[in-house]
Amino acid sequence: MPKLIIDNREVVVSPGTKIIEAAAQLDIMIPRFCYHPALGAVGACRVCAVKVLEGPARTTGIQMSCMLDAQDGMVVSTTDAEAADFRRHIIEFLMLHHPHDCPVCDEGGHCLLQDMTISGGHGIRRYKGKKRTHRDQDLGPLLQHEMNRCIQCYRCVRFYREYAGYDDLGVMGIGSRVYYGRFEAGTLQSPFSGNLADICPTGVFTDKPSRYRGRRWDFERTPSVCIHCSLGCHTVVCSRYREVIRQEARFSPTVNGYFICDRGRQGFAYASSKDRPRSAMVGGRPSSVADAASEARSRIARLQQAHGPGSIACVGSLRSSLETQGAWKSACKARGWQGPAFFQDDREGAAVLGAAAGLDRSYAVSMVEMEQADLIILLGADPVNEAPMTALALRQAARAGAPIVALDPRPIALPMPFSHIPIPASEIGTVFEAALGTSENAPADIADDIDQLRQAMDNSRRPVIVCGTDVVPASLPAAAVAGAARLEASGKSPGLFYLLPGPNAMGAALFADKAPTIAQVVADIESGSVRGLVLVENRLFHRYPDRQRLEKALAMLELLVVVDCLKPEGDRRPDIFLPAATVFESGGIFINQEGRAQEIAPSFKGGTPLSQITGGDHPPREFTPGTPGAGPEPAWSLAALLTGDADEMPAALSERCPALSTLSISHLT
Amino acid sequence: MQTESQTESLEKEIQAAEHPRELAVDVMAAIQARDGYLSDAGVAEAAGLLGMSPVEIEELATFYTFIYREPVGRYVIHICDSVVCWMEGAETIGEHLMKALGIRMGETTPDGLFTLLPVCCIGYCDRVPAILINKKAYGPLTIGELDRIIDGLRNSDDANEAAAEAANPKKQVLKR
Amino acid sequence: MYPQVLLQNRKPDRIATLAEYQRSGGYEGLSRVLEAQAPTEVRQVLLDAILLGRGGAAFPAGVKMMTVAEDAPFPRYLVCNADEMEPGTFKDRVLIHADPHQLIEGMALAAYAVSAEHGIIFIRPEYEGAARILEREIGIAREAGFLGKNILGSGFSFELVVHRSGGRYICGEVTAQLNALEGRRPNPKQPPPYPTEKGLWQKPTVLQNVETLCCIPHILKNGAQWFKDLALTESGAGTKVFGISGKVNRPGCYELPMGVRLSEIIEEYAGGMKNGAAFKACLPGGASTSYLTQEHYHIEMDFEALKKVGNRLGTGAIMVFDQHTCMVAATLNLIEFFARESCGWCTPCREGIPYIRDILWRIETGEGEASDIPALRKICKYLWHAYCAFAPGAVAPVEGLLTYFEDEMTAHINQKKCPFKGS
Repeated sequence: MPKLIIDNREVVVSPGTKIIEAAAQLDIMIPRFCYHPALGAVGACRVCAVKVLEGPARTTGIQMSCMLDAQDGMVVSTTDAEAADFRRHIIEFLMLHHPHDCPVCDEGGHCLLQDMTISGGHGIRRYKGKKRTHRDQDLGPLLQHEMNRCIQCYRCVRFYREYAGYDDLGVMGIGSRVYYGRFEAGTLQSPFSGNLADICPTGVFTDKPSRYRGRRWDFERTPSVCIHCSLGCHTVVCSRYREVIRQEARFSPTVNGYFICDRGRQGFAYASSKDRPRSAMVGGRPSSVADAASEARSRIARLQQAHGPGSIACVGSLRSSLETQGAWKSACKARGWQGPAFFQDDREGAAVLGAAAGLDRSYAVSMVEMEQADLIILLGADPVNEAPMTALALRQAARAGAPIVALDPRPIALPMPFSHIPIPASEIGTVFEAALGTSENAPADIADDIDQLRQAMDNSRRPVIVCGTDVVPASLPAAAVAGAARLEASGKSPGLFYLLPGPNAMGAALFADKAPTIAQVVADIESGSVRGLVLVENRLFHRYPDRQRLEKALAMLELLVVVDCLKPEGDRRPDIFLPAATVFESGGIFINQEGRAQEIAPSFKGGTPLSQITGGDHPPREFTPGTPGAGPEPAWSLAALLTGDADEMPAALSERCPALSTLSISHLT
Repeated sequence: MQTESQTESLEKEIQAAEHPRELAVDVMAAIQARDGYLSDAGVAEAAGLLGMSPVEIEELATFYTFIYREPVGRYVIHICDSVVCWMEGAETIGEHLMKALGIRMGETTPDGLFTLLPVCCIGYCDRVPAILINKKAYGPLTIGELDRIIDGLRNSDDANEAAAEAANPKKQVLKR
Repeated sequence: MYPQVLLQNRKPDRIATLAEYQRSGGYEGLSRVLEAQAPTEVRQVLLDAILLGRGGAAFPAGVKMMTVAEDAPFPRYLVCNADEMEPGTFKDRVLIHADPHQLIEGMALAAYAVSAEHGIIFIRPEYEGAARILEREIGIAREAGFLGKNILGSGFSFELVVHRSGGRYICGEVTAQLNALEGRRPNPKQPPPYPTEKGLWQKPTVLQNVETLCCIPHILKNGAQWFKDLALTESGAGTKVFGISGKVNRPGCYELPMGVRLSEIIEEYAGGMKNGAAFKACLPGGASTSYLTQEHYHIEMDFEALKKVGNRLGTGAIMVFDQHTCMVAATLNLIEFFARESCGWCTPCREGIPYIRDILWRIETGEGEASDIPALRKICKYLWHAYCAFAPGAVAPVEGLLTYFEDEMTAHINQKKCPFKGS
């Protein structure tokens, strides 16, 4: 373990650590542009220069701290006068052509070039030549292109092509005229393009939808978690005047590393949609939440009296927080209602339950750990569509040489070469077991593929199984666990990674005992045994396979209560509508596909965004007792209102739901 | 001019290559020789032949001096402007050509015959001042010799063909 | 007359044919080596001969080949660097047009030394004539049995192809050239790993200059000591093909012993200064070397002697300036070359060289200021910390200007014009 001295302070590092990383361990941030922990060091910008005062032959003098290994006995100075002067010159070089854009540039306030220029000590411009300029490209609706600001750190193409594996962004030209762009203008193809805005150290790539809507220091920036898939990637919500303006990736050393996908990054517009319902509705007419809840209570009571508590069904959601799922589960249990039904059908329910049952600390791998795998086996998993960031993690494993094998009926695509064994979903388990050697039944026509998979498994030491739950038979997650056990028995360190159908599918699994499925509820409605439906945060039409049948069933209901943040859909108008708060307003605990419970803090208090009230003008001078449009409430508190039971609050949940008793909210990350 | 069979043999070469992309410069040069320059369509064609994306080809095409991404004349005149040619009259050669052809550096004559470009040391420092015309070296040059060479090219069969093509509307236009 | 080795078969208007090459002893070295010497022995001979690279970097060829491990993987590659874009340099062009088979035999021997079966000649696009000559003569050599499978029944196979570059100076840098060969943008790539360990397609690759490879058949035929004895200096070895141009009466290539004096090259071989002018300065080895001035007029031209005066022999391409040459303007021309050819990878080269160019241009056009001189010194010093050897090479003549011709710079600044204009 090399021990070295940086700026008169000692630090011990693991072999292979670069000086720039060793310095970071001492909280010394050496200036850098092209170096990025995820993208590695390439030595292009030359700004991370330090003076190595003592070290092995040919490592002394001015050195690039990102390229040089920290070695035992080295003495390094980051503050050495020559090194500092060198860095100042490099920054001066980078600023030769930089446009005087700060006053109008969105990057201002979180611009690495601004930071390095000030801290590097470069000030007065003495270069008298002309600045080179470029024409920008329209790269689509999500990213703005401003090439004049470029300092040629190459981060964008390194991320886009090497890290993420998409090939429509490149570096063209030569010398000081190099240009980063597409072959021709057009939308960037990579579903991870938004990360360019995060990693670009200047304002070349900035977020387009939020352009000119606020400067960095205008925003309230809060840590949050994305709820668009089961991964639970960490985000930063930048909000202003009661709306989310943009989101950035938030570093997580375990879940998502440095990046997020575009779906998660841009998927917030719903929260400030102009037609987002902010008041409760009774029979289609606005009402106060209290009145609507009271009306709902009495109508539910009438139905219960006439037909029994089982005539009321509750459908919950895989995107509801644990508090919400728990509150409604509790309410259903206490009142004898059916549900909450969280899963589409028996297959989905059993598959997710199988995944939850299969959670095992010794096999569970995080996405960051998955990058170290030396073999990836995808069982009915389609990362790019189901959990995009998984595809990025798999690509890093592939770049390090891990073969990728996918057993899937669908023509899935991945941003790296992989072997695809196309088989019906029903056969995935059999084929997997045949390759493992735990089964003899396998279709003869793919004997070669199975052989190759077996070979690959034999040769591996850290195989990871990625098991989907979207199209696979219910038994597959358990087969995946058995596979991991088998691999472990043959001396390997296997990993297991599930893709689940929602951000809190794991939570739903915890509450799914004895609950019906959505398919069952629809059948019950059709048979007449269910006459009243409480639909909580679930867009049924999104996933139910037969729209007409669903419309018919909803039309049959005597009572439809909808709780959601979005406008209800379908022909059947809900009798009662209760507006729910979004995750930005209420926060909540979500358990991701790894079984990692993450608490999301609210980002701002709810209410109509100011931009929709003032039309861009100065905030109004009316003084009202409450925030306009602040009707929506967290869905779990609406459960309390609906049942009339003030005890339906999260704190009391652990008594009602033993599954939660081991969770201590304050200790969750 | 590149014939179709030469392009076919290029395809065979690509198929036979263990790493097709090692032929990238050859493919671009072949398409350029056939079309006169490497157009946007040419880039896409090269990408298809090599199994690379268009921007990957563009990255190479825009790096190299002898891949032309804009239409050039039938005769591309490269005037060496490195230090020895510079000492021995390259500027005079350059100015004379610009006047004689009526174009500036980087431009092509309206009849599509001549393009003037600067080039760095072509390795004919013992025969300065030297120029290349379609990669053929001429030097040491006097103004008189230069005029004779240009006139000779102007009146050659090749030139008449080029003039006809310049009037032909099928000539591809670069679009950005 | 000094012994002619590399240029012994040179003719005014055509190449030496295979037959002519053989008559002068060509391919004898290859036959003998394939018959009786193991690759390790060949490497040792080249090491003993102190064959320094003649492409500019002067790295010992024997040492380079020794770094290919015995158990290194296959296939292995031998690349001939015929990119020759260093301004002032034309010796490789002359060598190929004089005696192409000398290069082919040299490559076969070098390949044998490292058990490489694939040879590539990476040639600049401006040398289309030379490329065609090589392709033709390679075919002739193959028919004669000196290339291909199982050469001369030895079990050693060697295939040789010509690869035309798209044209950029940076392609002459070894790791950039390998990137170019792989169809990538030819940015350099700092080792580790070194190309002899992981080069072309991640396999062991040895890259040598044309002239270096041309020495090899003669060394193997006549021995390491013979090669060393050709030089006039203790530390030198072999001959050097000096290419001299500029203000001399007979510019051209002259093969002379290592260590021959600069004054002798100019006066005895290049016909003396043109128009009776006085020698003012020269670049000894291409544009990326510093200036030799009147005080160095009699310097022995070998690698050691030039290092001692803070310069480099480089490619041995001598560009001679006389008393009428404005050194500021000459240096400006050189730096404009480098500014145009910078690949754009690292900041100091990409931005620093155009910055130097702008300052020199202002000085040359009479807009310079006294503060420009210390500013230039500092920028030049810092460009030594760029990513590859391009930037340090680019500032060599600028540092030469600052060292030896600061008075000319000051004159420009004080007079607010170029004192040489109109002379």
